Amino acid sequence: MSNIESWDWESKEKMLADTAEWKDRFEDVWEPYISSDGEKIASIIKIGEGEFNICVNGNTWEEPFEKMWYSRFSPDGRLTALISKDAEWTMAVDGVALEETYEYIWDTKFSADGKTIVAIVKQDGVYGMLVNGKVWECPVKLESIASHAISPDGNTVAAIAQTVPLGQADLDGFLKGTWSVVVNGKPWNDNFVGIYGLAISNDGKKVAAEYRAAICEYGIVVNGNPWIEKFGCTWEPVFHPDKSDEIIVPVRQAGQWFLAKNGRIVWDKGFFSLLYQTYSPDGNNIAVAVAPQFGKWTVAVNGQPWSVTFGECVQKPCFSPDGRKVAVIAKDSGKWLLVVDGAVLGEGYDNIWQPVFSPDGDKVICKVEKNGKYAVAVNGEIRGKNYEALWNPVISPDGTRAMICGVESGRYYRKVVSLSNI
Amino acid sequence: MKPTIVKREPVVDEALDQCEARLTEEQIEKVVNEVIDKETGGRLWTYVNTCIHCGLCAEACHWFLSNDRDVSYAPVTKVKDTIWVLLEKKGKVDGAFIKRCSEIAHTECNLCRRCGMYCPFGIDIAYMLLVVRRICAKLGMVPLYLQDTVHSHAATMNQMWVKPDEWIDTLQWQEEEGQGFVPSARLPLEKEGADIMYSVIGPEPKFLAQLLGNITVIMKVAGLDWTMPATAGWDNSNMAMYSGDFEIMARVERLHHETAQRLKVKRIVMGECGHAFRGAEYDGPTWMGWMKPPIPIVHAISFYYDLIKSGKIKIAKKAKGPITVQDPCNVVRNGGLGDKLRYIMNAVCEDFVDVTPNNRYNYCCNAGGGVINVGPPWKKKRVQGNRIKAEQFKRTGAHTIVTPCHNCHSGIEDIVDFYKLGMHVKFFSDILIEAMEIPEHLKPKEE
Repeated sequence: MSNIESWDWESKEKMLADTAEWKDRFEDVWEPYISSDGEKIASIIKIGEGEFNICVNGNTWEEPFEKMWYSRFSPDGRLTALISKDAEWTMAVDGVALEETYEYIWDTKFSADGKTIVAIVKQDGVYGMLVNGKVWECPVKLESIASHAISPDGNTVAAIAQTVPLGQADLDGFLKGTWSVVVNGKPWNDNFVGIYGLAISNDGKKVAAEYRAAICEYGIVVNGNPWIEKFGCTWEPVFHPDKSDEIIVPVRQAGQWFLAKNGRIVWDKGFFSLLYQTYSPDGNNIAVAVAPQFGKWTVAVNGQPWSVTFGECVQKPCFSPDGRKVAVIAKDSGKWLLVVDGAVLGEGYDNIWQPVFSPDGDKVICKVEKNGKYAVAVNGEIRGKNYEALWNPVISPDGTRAMICGVESGRYYRKVVSLSNI
Repeated sequence: MKPTIVKREPVVDEALDQCEARLTEEQIEKVVNEVIDKETGGRLWTYVNTCIHCGLCAEACHWFLSNDRDVSYAPVTKVKDTIWVLLEKKGKVDGAFIKRCSEIAHTECNLCRRCGMYCPFGIDIAYMLLVVRRICAKLGMVPLYLQDTVHSHAATMNQMWVKPDEWIDTLQWQEEEGQGFVPSARLPLEKEGADIMYSVIGPEPKFLAQLLGNITVIMKVAGLDWTMPATAGWDNSNMAMYSGDFEIMARVERLHHETAQRLKVKRIVMGECGHAFRGAEYDGPTWMGWMKPPIPIVHAISFYYDLIKSGKIKIAKKAKGPITVQDPCNVVRNGGLGDKLRYIMNAVCEDFVDVTPNNRYNYCCNAGGGVINVGPPWKKKRVQGNRIKAEQFKRTGAHTIVTPCHNCHSGIEDIVDFYKLGMHVKFFSDILIEAMEIPEHLKPKEE
């Protein structure tokens, strides 16, 4: 969250927009997005045939566009959208379109502070990364870009890219390697059969990914250097939060999944499935989603699975700020459940969004959905009113308050409530 | 055991030929035993040891029936000539044998599971042939065009080498096409919290984009809250499941299911495809360790059944008959949607003429199971291997065949062409879009 300390944590309630009224003003109003600080709500609007604009807190941008999509706020509060003008595409930021246009543009992402904005572009059949309005200069022609990642400080942008052209049904060419990773415009020396699961260390110095060496042979490559160890399958690598030379990865051997650290299996226990490895904020603990048996899912913390299991799935675990507690969203018998340290909190819901811990770990709050309405749940229990639309609550840096943003009777409210009162 | 007399016209598939030349007997033995010892268990041995070689399965197989009851096409022969030998010889076979295994498992069996219904013991013969495919895939012995399709899945997470921008651009184009029917229709991209994520198979954006326009209109008329992803994970198809590359199969399925979870939808509704349903509902989740998909999957047949039955879609003008239907194996025989399929066919057709045999007992289209994906070298054998399907359709006297599955659609088009049946082949949504009522307030305004 960018500049979270400077957000308005004092105003108890602000009604910032009457979004119901937008529906009378415009031909069509798309789903809304809000800024990180909750101060702005925006929707793409249709104002006529081939004429789109964006409405932010009731005000539209000066210039409409032929097409618009993917409106997203940067963490520093700027509103971006992908727009088409004279049948060419580009990005507009706070209503101003970039001068350069492209055949296509997509997948906008931001650095943690919002200062760096990136997207993938295609021009004249060549793919590239647009970083703060400038396309990478890359020594090889990129045939495609599958996905990209950005370091928290925005200084490192990496992309999984096809660096070698491939003819139709060219099996040998494919197995020689046509994919690589391009970091800030510079491709790694080697090409691979496949690249997946791109990750950048928090300091931006290391880039890691899964690579496919052969039909059923996978490994991890870091800054272009493959691990010696190869496995039957892998999932995406994750860096230690502070140590960029420590990487954990799920790996498959002899039909079981294990957690490997820097190529070596760290827990002696194998699982039917293992996903979503997560470090605690201090990096001292690791939680993963595991299936000790087929169809039974739980969380293992430092290799020890919880005793409770869930029949459908568990999602990515999250640690409390002090690293002592772990929360996860699980699904069982058709209901989504909030689980903390192996105990189900509250009842089941139709949907649960990613939980957030209070600084002391005592409270875990999240957005939940029940019967088509949204509410805030604290330790699994709904508190307060229902909303037509709601965003996940944000806890203030001092841990005393929560920002709750939602739409009631068509009106968008930003509220700050005391954590002790909800 | 007597050797099988096999009479086939030679087919050149350079991937198989090159692999045969490359493989060593040591490699083969290692992979065969790895797969048998580490990836199979009681299920395989029970099937192998239970079979009494009665041959009743032969009567079930469209390959056997269409090839004048040539016993070399009987399911029991297909296992006798592949997995039985691999087990008996403990993998000590040569490259030529593995090549023949691939020809049998990848090009002469659709894994349609009709034979299992005729086996007195209910042996899932298709499973044994899938084990053979797995061995072949790990050895690189996969027909050229099927392997290329799997490479597409591996590189792009879709079946047709569709690049990310091509996908999104096609959706935006088809949204405009849909607006030609219903001006207020929208194809919402990346709408978190929508009720439905709609997913399709690779050929839709590549060759059959009108189906995306159709669904844009149908969703609007039905008043549904839906979305489609603007990222990889949109393709629900999975030819890696059929080549035997289960790691790529799982990667594709995981992404599809996680995309639905990321978008926080309640259900995934999928277009008209049979094998994709199998991959997304059964094979993918099973490999991942999920008892069932984390977000429920609804096949197009069930989806349209609910829309018509509930009155969310009303029929204004039924299609003129006679019209018949193809029961896709993976959603009818193996998914139980045959009655719902007949309900929706009767709802939109004035004169629906059923096939015989039908429903769970229907014959496979002979394109499924990855068999159409083995490509042009094998096409002649494929269409000749489903003469009974052509005869079955001819008996209906229909002018149109509805195929709620992409593989069925392509395979039956080939059969219609080869046997000169003079019939049209359509998806159900093609018929529905013409038959459904578009409420007055949604129609384009007169100029």
